[in-house]
Amino acid sequence: MTATATPLIVSPEDERRPSPGARGRRRRATTAVWAIVMVLIAAIVLYPLIWMVLASFKPNEEFGSNQGFFPENPTIDNYLSVLDGVGGVPLSTFFLNSLLLAVGSVIGTVISSSMAAYAFARLEFRGRPLYFTLMIGTLLLPFHVLIIPQYVLFRNLGMIDTFLPILIGKFLATEAFFVFLMVQFIRNLPRELDEAARIDGAGHPRIFLSITLPLIKPALISSSIFAFIWSWNDFLAPLLYLNSPDKYPLPLALRIFNDQTGTSDYGATVAVSVLALLPVLLFFIVFQRFLVEGVATQGLKG
Amino acid sequence: MFPRQRRSVIAGSALLLATALGLTGCSAGGSGGGGGGGEFDPEAPVTLNFTWWGNDDRADRYNRLIESFNEEYPNITINGTFTDFPSYWEKRQTEAAGGGLPDVWQFSDTYLRQYGESGLLADLGELEDQIDLSTFSEGLLATGQLEGQQLSLPTGYSAWAVFQNDDLLTQAGVEPYEGGTDYEEYSEWMASVTEASGGAVYGGTDYTQRIQNFELVLRQQGGNLFTEDGQLAFDEDDLREFWERGDADRNGVVAPQNRLEEVVPLSGFDSKFTASEMSWSNFLAAYSSTTAASHITMVPPPTTDPDAKDLYRQGGLQMAISADTEHPEAAALFLDYVVNSPEAGEIFGTSLGFPASTSKLEGATLEGVDAQVAEYLESVEDRLGDAPPVPVVGYGALEQTFWDLGKSIGLGAVSVDDAVTQFFDEASATLG
Repeated sequence: MTATATPLIVSPEDERRPSPGARGRRRRATTAVWAIVMVLIAAIVLYPLIWMVLASFKPNEEFGSNQGFFPENPTIDNYLSVLDGVGGVPLSTFFLNSLLLAVGSVIGTVISSSMAAYAFARLEFRGRPLYFTLMIGTLLLPFHVLIIPQYVLFRNLGMIDTFLPILIGKFLATEAFFVFLMVQFIRNLPRELDEAARIDGAGHPRIFLSITLPLIKPALISSSIFAFIWSWNDFLAPLLYLNSPDKYPLPLALRIFNDQTGTSDYGATVAVSVLALLPVLLFFIVFQRFLVEGVATQGLKG
Repeated sequence: MFPRQRRSVIAGSALLLATALGLTGCSAGGSGGGGGGGEFDPEAPVTLNFTWWGNDDRADRYNRLIESFNEEYPNITINGTFTDFPSYWEKRQTEAAGGGLPDVWQFSDTYLRQYGESGLLADLGELEDQIDLSTFSEGLLATGQLEGQQLSLPTGYSAWAVFQNDDLLTQAGVEPYEGGTDYEEYSEWMASVTEASGGAVYGGTDYTQRIQNFELVLRQQGGNLFTEDGQLAFDEDDLREFWERGDADRNGVVAPQNRLEEVVPLSGFDSKFTASEMSWSNFLAAYSSTTAASHITMVPPPTTDPDAKDLYRQGGLQMAISADTEHPEAAALFLDYVVNSPEAGEIFGTSLGFPASTSKLEGATLEGVDAQVAEYLESVEDRLGDAPPVPVVGYGALEQTFWDLGKSIGLGAVSVDDAVTQFFDEASATLG
């Protein structure tokens, strides 16, 4: 087999061998063209981002008169001035609030969604197909339909101006997307593993903790990353449920810097935008390996 | 065995949760219904929710005002909160539908019909023991009135004006526009600036883009934008004639629209390539800071009839109290402090508009740009007429549509005739 196959592959190689220089040049040329095209595309995609980072060093007067890439009089004053925050609330408070909400969301989503997914995928109970359909059905409900009933509910529970309305849903597996993702993942795990564990005397909690959870790690990681980024960027829920500025997360604070009704502080807006981007960027850089891994594994299972 | 037991546990806890929900629901409803009654005790401890939109600077000033209010009324605790303008109204919409509007809130006349007609605002006229209305002129009171009720009070006002950047005019070697002439003369002046600077600086921006200029032209002919019952008070021909007025200027006199698009959200005037621009008088402070010009001249807008009372005091920024507040009297005391007190004048100066109340104005120290605005408002006193009818529901959207269409005409993307049709289509959809 290998004996017949090898010459077939090697023979074109042999034909070109007389002029290795030309071939190398051509290969290098192709690579160079590719690299240039890629860099160009990346530059176009990244242009707004790079502009933002560079603009954050422009003094406030330069916005409007200098739309170019580079600040004429670079300064770090924008960063120094935003650290004081808004209306007596330091910037660090907004960061902490955002972080608290994001970490809370991740913990809540991972715990509750995985448990709900295990139940849907592995437990037999009456009405399971119906409940599953209903759960998927919530994906079709636009959020705007829910705003007012939800607001009335949380208001009557006295939870306005606390983080509870934003976090409580995450701990009750209300994000059908994550539940569905994990259900599909668990369904693809061989049932024999569960059965083996059961023969060894494990009940559902034990199977869930020792067998299922470790095996759906890629799904847990993708869910965590999405939950983190969604929560970090979420604007509407904090806007509706939080009143006190010292409970605001970053997206709300960002809008105050950019208030068009007063004299807008463009320098500060851009500087805060850069700062707000950093944690998500860090989070992504740290976890992107797992994200790609997670997607790849999901593909294989299907 | 196991599953059944667990099911009963789940059922039990679900029942418990439902009861808890029911109980909290009840108690919340009970306390809501119980409020509002009884005699007002000025010494009783009360907590009020107060909210506004605005930036860092405004937040600092309000916090100082609340401190100063508490020196006089230590028993009234004010929970001050704030967001930016668009979010502010999103949030109020939800609260209006779901209950829970703040006790006292910063308000805008654009929303007067929307919130007033659905009965969400308290009649301030009934709270006269706490609120002094005598410090406001009739015209200013009218900016917060709807169907005979005083639903909100203006914190300040402004009037339409022509702003000119003196530095750019000196460079071009052109005398400032004198103001108050007919529109042709203003156009000629703009053309002379554009010509003298060789096109580096334009004389102005296309004023037909702004609905406020259209309103002025209508008022010069004795009309208005809207009727008292909330309908359009002009027809297609009026609008077509107004937009066609700008045809000559758009041909190389005013700043081209594609150039202006580059600097959005700043204007050509902010970005120092147009020498004049019309806007509300309270923009002077913002213009001074964005242009960093050594001096900005303010003159009255052009007019077709020098005797017409076409300008008016625009009391856009208002204060209102929710109809379902549990402490109307305490809320009224605070509202009065914000709109009327000399302390508010001292703390805010003209940053919430030029003080509308005479007692607030007394407390304000007018220096620099503030003094200039005061001077301007005094100079146009003779041209200030009655307040226009309360804006229609959705006026904010119409104003934006008008501006967008004006810009599209400037870009050559739409003809005047098509723009007129589009505006009226939009207006009939908005006004129903």
